[in-house]
Formats: sequence, C-alpha cells, structure tokens
Amino acid sequence: MNVLIIEDEKALARELEIFLTNYNYICEVCFDGVSASEKVAVNLYDFILIDLGLPDYEGLDLLKEAKKNNPDAAYIILTARAEIYDRIKGLDMGADDYLAKPFSLLELQSRMQAITRRKFGLKNNVVELGDFLVNLTDRIITHGGAEISAITKKEFDLVAYLILHKNRTVTRNQLSEHIWGSIINDDYDSNYIDAHIKNIRKKLNAFSPPDWLETVRGLGYKIKINT
Amino acid sequence: MILFVALLPVLIKNINQNYTDSRLRKQKDKVLKTVKELGIKYYIQNGESYAAYTPIKDVYVSLEEDTLNENLDNIKNEVRKVEADTIEYRILSHNFHIEKRNYLLEIGISQDSVNERTGPLQSIAFVILVSMVILTIIADQVYSDYILRPLSLIIKTKLIGNKFPNFGSYKEVKTSTYDFHHLDISIHQMIQTIESTFQKEREFISNASHELMTPISILQSKIENMFEEEDVADELKVRLLEMQKILNRLKSITKTLLLISQIENEQFLKEDKISVSALLQQVYDEISIRLQDKNINYQVNINNDWNLVNVNKFLLFNLFFNLVNNAIKYNKEGGDIKVEALKEGNAYVVKIIDTGLGISAADLPFIFNRFKKLRQSLQQESFGLGLPIVKSIADFHHIKIEVASEKDKGSTFKLIFSPELIGS
Repeated sequence: MNVLIIEDEKALARELEIFLTNYNYICEVCFDGVSASEKVAVNLYDFILIDLGLPDYEGLDLLKEAKKNNPDAAYIILTARAEIYDRIKGLDMGADDYLAKPFSLLELQSRMQAITRRKFGLKNNVVELGDFLVNLTDRIITHGGAEISAITKKEFDLVAYLILHKNRTVTRNQLSEHIWGSIINDDYDSNYIDAHIKNIRKKLNAFSPPDWLETVRGLGYKIKINT
Repeated sequence: MILFVALLPVLIKNINQNYTDSRLRKQKDKVLKTVKELGIKYYIQNGESYAAYTPIKDVYVSLEEDTLNENLDNIKNEVRKVEADTIEYRILSHNFHIEKRNYLLEIGISQDSVNERTGPLQSIAFVILVSMVILTIIADQVYSDYILRPLSLIIKTKLIGNKFPNFGSYKEVKTSTYDFHHLDISIHQMIQTIESTFQKEREFISNASHELMTPISILQSKIENMFEEEDVADELKVRLLEMQKILNRLKSITKTLLLISQIENEQFLKEDKISVSALLQQVYDEISIRLQDKNINYQVNINNDWNLVNVNKFLLFNLFFNLVNNAIKYNKEGGDIKVEALKEGNAYVVKIIDTGLGISAADLPFIFNRFKKLRQSLQQESFGLGLPIVKSIADFHHIKIEVASEKDKGSTFKLIFSPELIGS
C-alpha cells in the first residue's frame, strides 16, 4: 500500500518511513506543505499522514486539497498541538483518525490496520491460535466452538494488539500505552500488564495451554503465528 | 450633647420659673392698674385686707395695709398657710404708697402647679431632642453612604462576590473623589498584573509542553525502531527498554501539564451527560487490575443514582480514576476502599474513603500543589501531579472537594456537585 508522509520534522518523518517500510508499506515523504500539495495533485495514495503543524501550510487546508484528488485515501492527522477543536475540525473534514504526538509507532500501525479493515473490507478476521480462534470483528475468543466469556474487554484488547504485531516482541510500555494511553495519571512506571497476562493465561489454561503467548524475558510479550 | 442632655432638666426648670415670674409681674401690673383706675377702695374697704384664691389654692392674691415701712419688690419661694394647708408658693411681694398709706401686694403661684408644667415641658423637650438625635444619625448615615458609595461599590464589585482577583471585564467606578478614583485604578492595575502573570504562566506551560511533544515523539519513534532491528542484542534491547521507560516518564509529565493547562484555558467542552454509576463502572473497568494486584477490597454504594449533566466525560473519568488510583496507591496491602454516592440534604456527594497511609494535618493544605510529593508511595513512582489534575478538573466543573485525613488511618475525599451539574 502507498503511504504519503507529510511531516516537517525530518527525523520523525524518517522514523515513520523506516517503520512503515518494515511493515511492507511503500512510503513517500514530504517535509513541507507546498511539495505535499504538488504530490497529492499527481499521485494516488492509500494512506496520507498529515502533520497539522506545517510551517508553510495550514494543515487543514492541505487536507481539504488532498481530498479532491485522493478522495478514497485514508487520512490520519498527526499533531503536537493536540487542541480539541483541531481534532473535531479534522474529523469533521473527513480525516479517518487522529494521533496526538508523541504516539507509539505500533499504535499508528494498529490504527492503519483498523482503517484498512474498515475501508478495504478485509474479510479474514479470525485468527487461529493453537486450539483457540480469535475473532477480531466480534471481539471474542472461542475454544471448540464455545466462547470464553471470562475474557474481559481489556484482556481481549491485549491479545488483539499482540496478534496485530504478531511475531514481534511488544514491550510492556507499548502495551500499557495502547491500553491506558488516554488516561492521564501520575504513575510513570505503573505496569499492570504482567497481571493482565497472568489472568489471560489462567483463563485460557482452563481449556488448553496457550503456548503461543510467549514471555520475552525482561522485554515484553509476543504472540507466535506460523505463516 | 451629653452636657446638654444632662443640663436639660435644670434648663427647663429655669425657663419655667422665668415664665412664672413674668406671669406674676403681669398680674401685679394688672392689680396696680386696677388700683390706679378704680382706687384702692375697689379692693380694700374699711381697712380690711383683700385676699382671693382659686379653690385648689394654686394661685392667690392678697392686698393689705402694710404696717412695716418696707419697700419690697421681689419674688421669692416661701411657705404660706392658707386655711388648713401649708403650701409652698412662688410669691411676688410688692409695696406701694397710695393715699398716704403703705400697702403690700402679694401674688403667689404654688410650686406644685409650677412643677406640673415643668414635667410635660421636660418630656416634650426630651422627645424633640431624641428625634433630632435620630434624624441627625440618619442624615449622617445617608450622607456618608452617598459620599462613600464609590468605595462600597469598589469593595462590592472588585473585592467580594466574584472570586478575587476577578479577571476580565473592568468597569470603572464613577466618582468625583480623587482618592476613590485612584483606589479603583490601583486595584484594577493590580488585578491586571496578576492576570497577565497567570496568563504568562499558563501560556508558558502550554507552549513548553507542546514544544516538548515533538522531540519526545522523535525519540520514542527512534527507540521503537531500534528495538525492532534484528541485529540488536537482547542486552541492548533491555537498555532500550529502560530508555523507553524514562521517556515515558517525561511524556507522562508533559502530557499531564498540558492537560492541566488545557483545562485552565477552558479548551474542553462541557456537554456530556453520564450517570454516576456508569462513570464509576468505567473507572472500575480500568482500575480493577490495580485493585486485584494489591488485594484491595473495593466497595461501591450508590444510594440513589443520578445523572451528571454539563460535564466533560473524559475529564470526569480522569478525576475519579486519579482519586481511586490514589486511594489504591497510598493504601496498604489488603486494605479497603469505599466509594459512596449519596444525597446529603440538597447536595449531591461522592465520597472516596480509603484505609491507607493518610495525610498529616501539616501536609493537608499542600496536597493539591503541583509536584508536591508529600506521601511516599510504597511501590510506585509518581511525580505529584495526580491531585493537581483532580483539582483542576474539579474547579473547571465547579465541583467542591473536601479532604479529611488522619495519619496511618486513611483519607476521605468528598466531592460536592453543584446543582447545575445534576440532571434528571
């Protein structure tokens, strides 16, 4: 899939490019509004990531302009000025999602996946993990056809996030940020991910051992799926 | 004034006596005129003396030949015996010669009747005096009120009523008095100075935290990308993770400061409606893992659920989350937390009661200050912005917070919701 990254912070733009290329996206990068405006007029993209705080261009104007030639692209707004009104305005003008800086690259990837699933109608939404089936659309885990209802919303979120980033180690920090990122509180080292994983393992173990859920010592967790 | 009041009876008595004396003299002149016109025979025939008095003997006139060769013309207080009564009179005595004989005229008015007049006179004078005093006081009050009206207006509109310092609209207080004008302007200038300092502080926090977001974002992305590289040894990954943790701390502080400054700049809408039970359930869903982790007994009592209106759901969630989170953080292993939602009189109240470490009385006034780390939590790291978030969200919604705490016993945070937040 083609991604246009419009970000004036060159260091950040470069990291986005590296990360998305790793996830098999084809990336183009613009550091300013003028060249971005030229690019969107000529090329077609699947994803356009726009930093609202461009020095030479009003970000929301650029969004409007891009939508003319790229009406089917998915738009994600990136901004450091996380003003609430900007957010409402951006979503009103047809942006698909909004990420406030600083954001985790994994979070960006999961948002892009979600949009892909929604926009491009990804069918295969059931993932097989050992004896378990995880349905990402209905948000349930089943074993032998029966739903495991003991799994809470939070626990499912964790499993789904690990599936999305399958075969990679996801750190506790990244999981925490995904699960509790919007909560503002003053603990900077609170880590209850381990407790959650323990609960998930206990609940699944009642049916069969979830060997696919690995602990990567000292780092985080990983879900192994052989493809 | 007091001297005047004290002397009043004497004065009245004096006036009354002068009046009595002038009456006596008039009477004398009348008698002498009659004698002159009609002759002494009109009163005295055959050398007998003349005497007349009113039935109650308050006034008498006597005229007789005087055997003593005096020349009296005075007024004195004397006692006379009239028939059986001994009465004190004020008496005018006057000698005159007519037809080579000496006569003595006496006219008396009894002291009693004189005093009878003194009483009413005194009370009339007293009433007048009192009313004048009252009138003077009222006039003084009205006048000073009028004169001092600009001052009371300054006090009323600038200092009390509105919370001081009252920012925003400045309304000049109209006055012709230079001092008041000066006072008004000075207060206004003081408020302006405070306001601009406040504003600068807010802007600084807002700008600083915004500006920090981009570098933090770059660092975070770099660490995440490095973490995913295949040729990075696990040992190095552990160190990257430590960097990520530290970066998280920086991020957390910056985000919190930014949130507080956004709340203070009123950049949030208050248009949501949510029931207290739903809000507490949301908090529970997010926080249950922490309760479980510390083996805390958590109890929610909602006597009568109510809807909160004109609120920001996101902010209120964070308010409750932080209060319950604090109650967990500063609790002991296996402790209790009780959340009670109830109506106290006309007020809607939510109490969060913990059996934790408590706050000492000396520290209590400072718990809402930023970066004040008063209680050292046992297992977690925090940077002292939890309660400042709570405070700024509460202020933004006009929710009153009362804190009661006892060291080593626990704390109670009580939230009192103002009526405009209560929906049907």
